Amino acid sequence: MAIVSANSNISRYGRPVLAWGVALLFFFPIFWMVLTSFKTDADAVKPEFLIWFKPTLDNYLNLTENYDYWRFATNSVITSVCATLFTLVVGVPAAYAMAFNPSRATKDILMWMLSTKMLPAAAVLYPMIFLAKGIGLYDTHVLVITVVSLINLPIAIWMLFTYFKEIPKDIIEAGKMDGVSTWGEVKEILIPLAWGGIASTALIIFIFCWNEAYWTVRLTTIDAATLSKLIEGNRAPEGLFFGRLSAVSTAAVGPIVVLGWFCQKQLVQGLTFGAVK
Amino acid sequence: MGRIVLNNVTKSFGETQVIPSLDLTIEDGEFAVFVGPSGCGKSTLLRMIAGLEELTSGHIEIDGDDVTQVPPSKRGLAMVFQSYALYPHMTVRKNIAFPLRMEGRDQSQINKKVEAAARSLNLTDYLDRKPAALSGGQRQRVAIGRAIVRNPSAFLFDEPLSNLDAALRVGMRLEISEMHKSMKTTMIYVTHDQVEAMTMADKIVVLQAGVIEQVGTPLELYHTPGNVFVAGFIGSPKMNIFSGSEAEKLGAHTAGVRPEHIDIDLSDGTWKGTVGVAEHLGSDTFVHVHDTVLGDLVTVRVAGDVAVKHGDTIYLTPQMDKIHKFDERGLRV
Amino acid sequence: MTNRSLPRLLQAPAVLLLLVWMLVPLSITLYFSFIRYVLNSMRRPEWTKPALSNWRGFGNYEFVLNNKDFILAIQNSLLIVCSILILTVIFGVLIAVLINKTFMGRGVVRVLLISPFFVMPAVNAVLWINMILDPVLGLQGLAVAGINEVIDGLRTFPILGGFFSMWPELEPISFRATQTSAYAVITMVTWQWTPFAVLIFMTSLQSEDQQQKEAAVLDGAGTWSQFRFLTLPHLARPIAIVVMIQAIFHLSLYAEIEIVSRGNGNKNLPYLIGEFANNNIGAASATGIFAVILANIVAIFLLRMIGKTLMD
Repeated sequence: MAIVSANSNISRYGRPVLAWGVALLFFFPIFWMVLTSFKTDADAVKPEFLIWFKPTLDNYLNLTENYDYWRFATNSVITSVCATLFTLVVGVPAAYAMAFNPSRATKDILMWMLSTKMLPAAAVLYPMIFLAKGIGLYDTHVLVITVVSLINLPIAIWMLFTYFKEIPKDIIEAGKMDGVSTWGEVKEILIPLAWGGIASTALIIFIFCWNEAYWTVRLTTIDAATLSKLIEGNRAPEGLFFGRLSAVSTAAVGPIVVLGWFCQKQLVQGLTFGAVK
Repeated sequence: MGRIVLNNVTKSFGETQVIPSLDLTIEDGEFAVFVGPSGCGKSTLLRMIAGLEELTSGHIEIDGDDVTQVPPSKRGLAMVFQSYALYPHMTVRKNIAFPLRMEGRDQSQINKKVEAAARSLNLTDYLDRKPAALSGGQRQRVAIGRAIVRNPSAFLFDEPLSNLDAALRVGMRLEISEMHKSMKTTMIYVTHDQVEAMTMADKIVVLQAGVIEQVGTPLELYHTPGNVFVAGFIGSPKMNIFSGSEAEKLGAHTAGVRPEHIDIDLSDGTWKGTVGVAEHLGSDTFVHVHDTVLGDLVTVRVAGDVAVKHGDTIYLTPQMDKIHKFDERGLRV
Repeated sequence: MTNRSLPRLLQAPAVLLLLVWMLVPLSITLYFSFIRYVLNSMRRPEWTKPALSNWRGFGNYEFVLNNKDFILAIQNSLLIVCSILILTVIFGVLIAVLINKTFMGRGVVRVLLISPFFVMPAVNAVLWINMILDPVLGLQGLAVAGINEVIDGLRTFPILGGFFSMWPELEPISFRATQTSAYAVITMVTWQWTPFAVLIFMTSLQSEDQQQKEAAVLDGAGTWSQFRFLTLPHLARPIAIVVMIQAIFHLSLYAEIEIVSRGNGNKNLPYLIGEFANNNIGAASATGIFAVILANIVAIFLLRMIGKTLMD
């Protein structure tokens, strides 16, 4: 469908040039970080080594030595995977019920769930620490996983709800006419049709869990500390450790950025609660 | 084997009552068509028979058994949806096989039945395709196939042809009628298109606002409409309906005469008027006439081609034995 | 015919968990806000355990309200959030419109543009404040030093030299300082969330009615008119959604504030709470309640908007 418009050379070449320029500009800090991670700490701060330098893998090889990276990374993985699973286990049935058996209260319940996400974390910081220490769960995986999944539960339910709602009602009814049991309905119809949605939700929630930086920092000291805490602890490198700092940062965000590249569409749908298609 | 009785059935959605008390009997083997304008409750009625909507009160019996509380799949019915409602992730074969699988039949039986259904519907070449790779008409047939294999005591069709283009619609109409003639199973068919109703039905149920206006064979409804609504609904182009002085002259509050029952003449007749638009189809001509004493636009259907054009003066004479008369309540006199 | 209790059962765990999550900590905060409760006190050791006997009524609230940092923190919170919202929406719309038409490498452009969003907030902050904005060692410092050198060099030129000698030597900005740290935070969060806005707007633009546009072109509408009368209204709802979602997330900004300035003059509410919580739990809790009230005010507006536009 061609729109008749003045397609001058300026607009035909200007657009891609400008677009690429903006894109590179936005990507630049990440690029810079990755680049710096291959410089030695000394080189990283010398202006003459801005672009041409002798690359080294030392920063990555010494991740454990410098930062005890793997311990934090393992915790991040454990936290994110378990929190995502827990969110799905609780969220899928809830979303299913709300999408296929809506009651008058359904809309209100969804709104309320969303509002729990608006609760400023800082307001309940101390009580949580107080409670955590009291129950003896401070700095444990159990606590961190529970909190992180509860934070993301509203988003998960919203996303799942919108995916479930996309299944046309008359396919469900056809199933009923064909004699499908409730479990059969789930197995034969819902899961195959909603599978993509569930997977996307899981991806997004995983990303959010991984990037979570408030509770994971404040409810942990050593045992359950995640990469967020590691980075935050190194926020002001005394001395000039840009090289290794870049490496650990890249190692912390790299997987997620790549993951994010693969699920743009789902991200939009999830974060706008399906309102923007 | 497929006799359906609705007894004192009502339906309300919350506060709104969409179907006030309704009684209806559909005999075994009948092709019954529910027809009416949008929102008249015909789909709701069908879905209540299917079991997809609950009744607010009343009973439904199938072959003498009260099925009001029975779940849809156990009523022995099969439904063809307007949007076909095929399972998008399953092949045609699996779609048609699905109800049989739910019944727990063994695989060889299932295969036999699926293949038989596919043969009768010309779907054999498409058995391994998914719905997305099929045309509208083919999808329609898969939906019908899925219904056939259930060997139901009655088929329910919910506006099945609305999503097809015009040419396809005529073809499918014939196929469904053929199916009925050969299977002799009860069929209940919902449509808003009165041409479909007239051509396919043994019995037409005309509905408006949840109320049955009239039940009868197509020709009964054509020749003796019971009230103004049915008179205006059945027949295309619409019957010319008028009140006022001309109706009184005929001894009625409201009167009507079908376009095909009016004769035209260029010099003499009962009513004088001016030709507005004349639609020449070759086989017929529809002449729309203004400025008659009847008030509204009058439509006349003339066989063959007739040489009238916009602005001509024309005289209309109704065939007196074909005039329908109605009283103040709109009922036939 | 439908089993009424099964749906309720399925929703129950989620509802119960969120209910507990919302009520329990919040009620404790409420309780703490009304008592004297500190972590260490030499003069009043009885205040180091939370107890009803330490009831203070609204004392903590008064204390917080009178604290000079409090008003500043609220102002700061609002400044930061509003700036981010405005910037991300403007950039988001412009960029989305820019990349709306196909061109070579568009897929890669999209991927590059989205990346900032997936970066951990802590890394985001550390990256910007150290490697980019640091006045000496970061890119900013290097850039400023470089510019100064160039200008120095230009000063020696015959005629132009006179002109350039009037230019002051550029000072690199320390973004950790009081006034400027807010700008650093705004910059880095805008960098992170503009991609989000771009994604949303881009998706929405794809559902623009092309026929409507063609009609407008035939009616003589130029590019600007098309943008103003067709595109912008079409984007109204996504903009509302972007604003709303960001408000949810940015009101509780913490990592960036902490990392950038350690609150040096640039505190927002969450940071202030954290600060109080170092010792005065009572005050921290009262501040927390204020934060909840603020969040609720915002939430009420936003939820009304989202409820109207989203529920089908």
